[in-house]
Amino acid sequence: MSEFLNLLAAGLTSGGIYGIFGACLAVWFRVCNILNLAVGDFAMFGAIGTAWLVQTAGLPFGVGILVAVVGVGLAAWLFDWAVLHVAFDRGAGAHGIVGVFFYTFGLSLVLEGAARAMFGTDVYGAPDIWKGPALSVAGFHVQRAGVLVIALAIVTGLAGWAYLRFTVSGRAASACGESVIGSRIVGIDSGKFRRRIFIVTAVIAALFGIVESPLSGYTYLSGPTLSLIGVVAAGFASFRRPGRAVAAGLAIGVAEAMLGGYVSTSYDDVLLYAILFCVIIFRPEVLGLGAEPA
Amino acid sequence: MPAAALEVSDVSVRYGKFVAVESVTLSVAAGECVAVIGPNGHGKSSLVTAVAGLVRRGGTVRVFGTELPAGRPGTAVRAGLVLVPERRHLYPALTARDNIMLGSYAHTRRLGAWRAWEDVSDVLDMFPELAKLLDQKAGTLSGGQQQMVALARGMAARPKVLLLDEPCLGLAEAVARRVYDWLALMTATDMTILLVEENPVHAMNVASRAVRIYKGVVEVPAA
Repeated sequence: MSEFLNLLAAGLTSGGIYGIFGACLAVWFRVCNILNLAVGDFAMFGAIGTAWLVQTAGLPFGVGILVAVVGVGLAAWLFDWAVLHVAFDRGAGAHGIVGVFFYTFGLSLVLEGAARAMFGTDVYGAPDIWKGPALSVAGFHVQRAGVLVIALAIVTGLAGWAYLRFTVSGRAASACGESVIGSRIVGIDSGKFRRRIFIVTAVIAALFGIVESPLSGYTYLSGPTLSLIGVVAAGFASFRRPGRAVAAGLAIGVAEAMLGGYVSTSYDDVLLYAILFCVIIFRPEVLGLGAEPA
Repeated sequence: MPAAALEVSDVSVRYGKFVAVESVTLSVAAGECVAVIGPNGHGKSSLVTAVAGLVRRGGTVRVFGTELPAGRPGTAVRAGLVLVPERRHLYPALTARDNIMLGSYAHTRRLGAWRAWEDVSDVLDMFPELAKLLDQKAGTLSGGQQQMVALARGMAARPKVLLLDEPCLGLAEAVARRVYDWLALMTATDMTILLVEENPVHAMNVASRAVRIYKGVVEVPAA
């Protein structure tokens, strides 16, 4: 029983990682039909940036977090202004599959290169926000950072769900993803929604990276893996439902942990990619590979 | 002399090197319904989307004397210039209710005000059959029902000047007739309307005069 509970805790922690990136991907895709393949790189920059600012530059932890998060927000704003605004609001550039994948894929490569140039190839972990030994209840052990990861994922998923479901702004954001022309003719600024939600999800990813990095440590190459697991979680939520993306992420994490604990850890990644293949085969429409949903 | 409800002066639209609309000038008096007719592909829809601020344009557009900036559809809506576009452009995954209520987005963004307005909506009185479809996703409605939602969304935007782009395109004859009945009702209530219609016979059932556009220019100036 104790082993099961500990596997469950580990699975929920890794599932929280999947879920939060899934939620960030889903809410932005819902607004503008673009996959944010750089969301993991924003987390990487938040984590490594904070670690470097605190451990190397000697800034106080709180200031380091603030500088890193604001920096990530500014980078997101700059990318939207320089690329997405020109491509989508001014009608320049290529759309279709290029718009869905390649603008943010390019951003991911740029952020990777920038991180390597700024911080090198070392492994970084930001200091613990909630310091202390692992929490233990009836043989159930969980790292404090893991508790924060799960909590942040759940709060993000719930906040995204509530925003889209219960606010006029959330419905307007959804309308932008459904029809840009339809939204503009009633006075909804689709570009503003795309920009704001891109920046907010980038900041959430950066905060998440700061919270999570004491557990796993980040290098400049950590971003794409995080983005990919977010794509899987968001895929199970039709790329449009942040709350369901968090639930899917938690379920994938627990399944991985159970498989690793009771069968073999060698199958962790196999499971992740098997799930991705299942999405492609059985739910291709959510990846834009099949018929469009009605 | 009172200002016209809608004044379009020297409006041009270009897509790259292609000139879709060239130096079009027309005006619509308050309470008047003017039809824009002409063959497909000759610039009628480009003209109204440019007037509504959706595409870049040259020239000026005034609503009750207020000049509207190009490329700012939100400003146009707040000034009372509302477009019901060709092919409707609804939000298929949202309910009919959300589609209609988002029409009022330019005027109120508070959910409480949204709901209060919904309770007293005159729009639903115009299309009573919409009441039982409100919680259905717009993408699952028939073409005629979707057109009613699009018209209701347009009315929810509280138009002073209504731009209607091919409102009967693709609709069954019986549904098209109902849309024109509604248009006749609107003209009787002194709504100012600029109606784009390929079929001049349909158009002149409700319009007091027509402007013909051919190859992007006004062929028959407003009388």
